[in-house]
Amino acid sequence: MKLRDIAYSRSGDKGEVSNVCVFVYDPADYRRIVEELTVEAVEAAFRPLVKGEIVRYEMPTLHGLNFVMQDALAGGVSMSLRVDPHGKSFQSLVLDIEV
Amino acid sequence: MNDIVKIGCGSAYASDWLEPAKALADSGLVDYLAFDCLAERTLALAQIRKLADPSTGQDLRLARIMEDFAGFLGSNRTIVGNFGAANPDAAAADVVAGARKAGLDGLRVGVIRGDDVLKQVLDLDVALPERGVTAGQVRDRIVSAHAYIGAEPVVELLGEGARFVLGGRIADPSLFVGPICHELGWDLDDWASVGVATVAGHLLECGIHVTGANFADPPLRVLPALHDLAAPFAQVTSDRRVIVGKLDGTGGGVTEATVKTQLGYEVNDPAAYLTPDVTADFSALQVREIGPDRVEVTGAGGQAAPERLKVLVGLDLGFDVVGEVSYGGPGCVERARLAADVMRERFAPFAEGIDELRVDLLGVDALFEGRLQRGYPAEVRLRLAVRCADCDTATAVAEHVEFLYFAVAGGGGVTKSMRPAIGVTPAYLDRDTVRLETEVVTA
Repeated sequence: MKLRDIAYSRSGDKGEVSNVCVFVYDPADYRRIVEELTVEAVEAAFRPLVKGEIVRYEMPTLHGLNFVMQDALAGGVSMSLRVDPHGKSFQSLVLDIEV
Repeated sequence: MNDIVKIGCGSAYASDWLEPAKALADSGLVDYLAFDCLAERTLALAQIRKLADPSTGQDLRLARIMEDFAGFLGSNRTIVGNFGAANPDAAAADVVAGARKAGLDGLRVGVIRGDDVLKQVLDLDVALPERGVTAGQVRDRIVSAHAYIGAEPVVELLGEGARFVLGGRIADPSLFVGPICHELGWDLDDWASVGVATVAGHLLECGIHVTGANFADPPLRVLPALHDLAAPFAQVTSDRRVIVGKLDGTGGGVTEATVKTQLGYEVNDPAAYLTPDVTADFSALQVREIGPDRVEVTGAGGQAAPERLKVLVGLDLGFDVVGEVSYGGPGCVERARLAADVMRERFAPFAEGIDELRVDLLGVDALFEGRLQRGYPAEVRLRLAVRCADCDTATAVAEHVEFLYFAVAGGGGVTKSMRPAIGVTPAYLDRDTVRLETEVVTA
């Protein structure tokens, strides 16, 4: 199934850094995303859109994961010529990952 | 000193819609409203306005705000905001004028100056790490430099009886941290408490983001009346609980999910959320729905504030020209790609003045650069974005965009735009190089 079936997300930006946080609807699914939604899985979905390092932070009390992506926004909201310079749509791309 | 403080969000950026905040002000549910007026680029644009006219550079909504929120201020309630943008004194003058017009004579207006650090950035030739240069190397391109400043001057002014506090680049959460710490008597070096206040500020600073904006995804996530999203408020208690809510009868919702998504928004390491006030710790938060549209957040912590202050440096990057055209039916993708190639040839004579040319096919690869593929589209829109080093190049490029009607078959709906390209990039300054001053003026 798609991650979207069990989780929701939001992406934000600071300069060239994008963060995409993901939370499960059912806390019982938290272990599953910890195991399956690895940095490698997110890299597979976001390369080469995201060029820099991707770091994952676990948020066990919130049943969520936060992915911090460097060099992700082609210069950031004020510099990028992308259609979506904030990377607001990144939250939808992560939910397309198969789990 | 109180056991509870009630604070709401008035605005989340410079052109935010004010109706939800007005409804919250009129409800009597909050004693403070904090207005964030500055997105990353807003201050650089405000400095450019100020260059053209030294009497401006402040938030442009103050006359209206003083009318709409006169009743709120008149009932002994308080507004805090970074309305100053590039010109805090001009903002204070607007507030004083608006107060007198509204019959609020005697209103004490607190002004914070000193976030404008252009001189320090140039004198110290600070590094611009995301650009790989120092400030001195791009001196002629720098249009602004503002340090993110914290809650300390806000608390000081509230202590002096100011009921309208404004400054320039007061950090978004600090607009809330100031009133919360002032009311609850929390010391600004009580890091755990400042961490709690910062969680409240982070939840409220984006306004409707915590009441259902940027959230709905049917059929999985749906909230009622999305056209009428509420301005949020929080009650923060002396035993370090944060309860987020919204006005009854408004749209959207305050749920465990809306709160969690905002908690994670624009956060890097959840154990070290950096603000001018504190290194806040969001890593052990508990989120609990305690009633309809009421969510309690507990468990925030904090460590000492970062030693250096973040600065955003505004850079003049020239001009951006964007042209678009639509194609449909069989072969639309191939025609769009050919048209892009044709346009590159048309632009070739100006190549020296073109710093970057970006081609997107909206509907195909614009958002994810080809990471998602979903079959052949019924129609596409070609978008050419051109960063030009100077106005003459941009003007020439914009003229040629019209050729999108003729490059290949069936191109319709050409649009074009041209605007100055102003970028912002981070830098860092030691705290002792940023000298703030405060003053109370009376309407």
